Amino acid sequence: MVLVDRIQIELGAQEPWPKDVKLFQPYEVEQILLPDNANCLAVQAFLKMCNLDFQVEPRANAEAMSPSGKVPFIKAGAFVISELEPIVQFINNKGITLTDKLDPEMKSDMRAYMSLVHNVMEVAELYICWCDKETYNEVTSVRYGSIYPWPLNHIQNRVKRASVIKKLKVLGWYQKSMSEVFEEVENCCQALTDRLEGKDFFFGDKPTELDALVFGHLFTILTTPLPNSHIANTVRNYPVLINLVQRIEKDYFKRETKH
Amino acid sequence: MGTVYAKSEDAPTNLPTLPPQEPHAAHPSHKPESKEIFLDGVKARVDKIHVDGLARTKDDIIEDCIRDLFKATDFQDVLLKAHRARLKLDELGCFKNIAVFIDTSKGTGASPDGLEVTFNVTEYKRVTGGVTTQVGNNEGALLVGLRAPNIFGRGERVQVEYSHGSKRTTNFNMAFIKPMRGKYRPIFTTSVFQSNAEWPVSGYKELDRGLLFDFGFHSTSLIKHNIQWEATIRDLGVLSRNTSFEVREQAGLSLKSSLRHIISIDLRDDLIFPSAGSLLQITSEAAGLGGDVGYLKNEFYVQGNYSIAEDFVLQGTLSGGYMRGLTNDMKIGMSDKYYLGGPLSLRGFRMRGVGPHSDGDALGSLAFWSSGLHLFTPLPFRPGRGGFGDLFKTHLFITAGNIGDFKISDQNFLETLAANVRISYGLGIALRLGNMARVEVNYCFPHTFERGDQTHPGIQFGIGVQFT
Repeated sequence: MVLVDRIQIELGAQEPWPKDVKLFQPYEVEQILLPDNANCLAVQAFLKMCNLDFQVEPRANAEAMSPSGKVPFIKAGAFVISELEPIVQFINNKGITLTDKLDPEMKSDMRAYMSLVHNVMEVAELYICWCDKETYNEVTSVRYGSIYPWPLNHIQNRVKRASVIKKLKVLGWYQKSMSEVFEEVENCCQALTDRLEGKDFFFGDKPTELDALVFGHLFTILTTPLPNSHIANTVRNYPVLINLVQRIEKDYFKRETKH
Repeated sequence: MGTVYAKSEDAPTNLPTLPPQEPHAAHPSHKPESKEIFLDGVKARVDKIHVDGLARTKDDIIEDCIRDLFKATDFQDVLLKAHRARLKLDELGCFKNIAVFIDTSKGTGASPDGLEVTFNVTEYKRVTGGVTTQVGNNEGALLVGLRAPNIFGRGERVQVEYSHGSKRTTNFNMAFIKPMRGKYRPIFTTSVFQSNAEWPVSGYKELDRGLLFDFGFHSTSLIKHNIQWEATIRDLGVLSRNTSFEVREQAGLSLKSSLRHIISIDLRDDLIFPSAGSLLQITSEAAGLGGDVGYLKNEFYVQGNYSIAEDFVLQGTLSGGYMRGLTNDMKIGMSDKYYLGGPLSLRGFRMRGVGPHSDGDALGSLAFWSSGLHLFTPLPFRPGRGGFGDLFKTHLFITAGNIGDFKISDQNFLETLAANVRISYGLGIALRLGNMARVEVNYCFPHTFERGDQTHPGIQFGIGVQFT
């Protein structure tokens, strides 16, 4: 089955980018959570950087519809692909890429930074949403449960929370205190700042998927109102990153937000 | 071992010692060695009833079952009522074995025509269990069950069942069943269940977890009612990457809370191959009392059997269903909808092969009707007559049906029902599998079908209980 799927994706790759590509994600205003929003925004930014047309299609059950159980996912013709990396791969197969000027060493660097963002920023976001009591009670549980009727909302909140905690335990994050989590975020921001210093984008004057991913996470962290705003304040200490976020927002989303 | 002694309430009135219609009792025209006796002429009354072998079963429910026996006035009546009492005792589900003995009444207080009836019962053990097979919906299943019958002595039982089907269906069910006393034979069931089913023809799988309360009673001895309330959390998952996007859009959780009323009248003489009698089932369901699934649904199933000559049975069936959504913000799940086609319904089509499809996945509709006319005859030249051969029947059939989002409010409702009718016919062999299922192997010819229908001409195999 996996092989068949893979062959089909390869075959589909030869076709040009279809006109009616849709990006499915949860409702932004009342439903989406911080980590999901970051990933959805990252994919949106990447598609815009590639100059590909798409439409955002909000769905309450986007998470269940996704083949991997994670948002966002795109539907291009008969193909349904979820998450940033497989989408990047799918688009690369069509001959569209942001990394053609990069040498192999830089490419592996980029992958390392991307996994750093996934393993620190995304996990920290999960931690804040599901393990910080205040955030969970005031934001996460209300938003995540909003699409379900009573009493399914309470059941689903518990189920989801248990699965996130399980994941955090495996990653060794559940035992961490809030200040340790912020320290990790700080280290990650510092590493990204060091890499970016003096350049427009991480790898020269053109954006890559790493820029899209960093933009997705930092923009969401900066603009999402949470009871505990410490994480946003941590990010604000890195003006180089803020500049990057503002630049991408202006160039690709044609709007400006003050951070 | 306890024993219930039930004694006749009223003192014996003076009964004539000899039956008044003596000439009828012994027929004179017959040979002396084989006397024909008219049992309804023999005066008799029941003096005493013994029930032996009772341990934890309470007396009151036993008394309810056997009380009628005291009202018998002649010997035939005694036999019939004893038989009925035995059936009632069996229905309690407390006894493994029930034997009935009838003897003349002896000892003090015995009336001249008095009889003593003894029921010898063996109670079930505290816990019983077993592994059995189960058949339904074109699928065989292995069923592992554990039962605690008669826990509080009044027929209450707890049962836990787990079944695993050949098509990756798994079911878990835990039920508490409480029969109640009364002339409508009410029975209360509450159960917790989890079921998992895969539907490759529709491209989805569904995991249901829920609660069911069922109240069953008989309004007359043949009309059975069930009133149910069901609350289920349903998780619809996409079966594969190739599943149609329209099915994918339905993925996710839904909560259904529904009230259901089922009436069934079964007058057939046999479950698998009836030769006479009819069956009527009407189900009405209202979902939307809480939860996010809302619809009104009505369906019926009628089956009539007519014996046209010895062992030649004509069977006609008609079923239909109609549902509509309650409000726009309430969902109707894929498993709530109607599907048509397959070896159990419209033969000559694939399972769920009739009606709207998207990328080969059946999507279901809001209304359907289907009917069938079957002729069951013995096998040609009747091999194995009176034994093994009687399990098989030759089967000729014609089935017809239609499915779609019909609306009763539509002006030409009847015309839309009749337009685009699908018809198929064929012949084959039907087999009785124990007393639990009918197996059919048919050669089918789809006669009338629409574009987009998935036909299945040729040999089709079906196994199940309820066929169209």
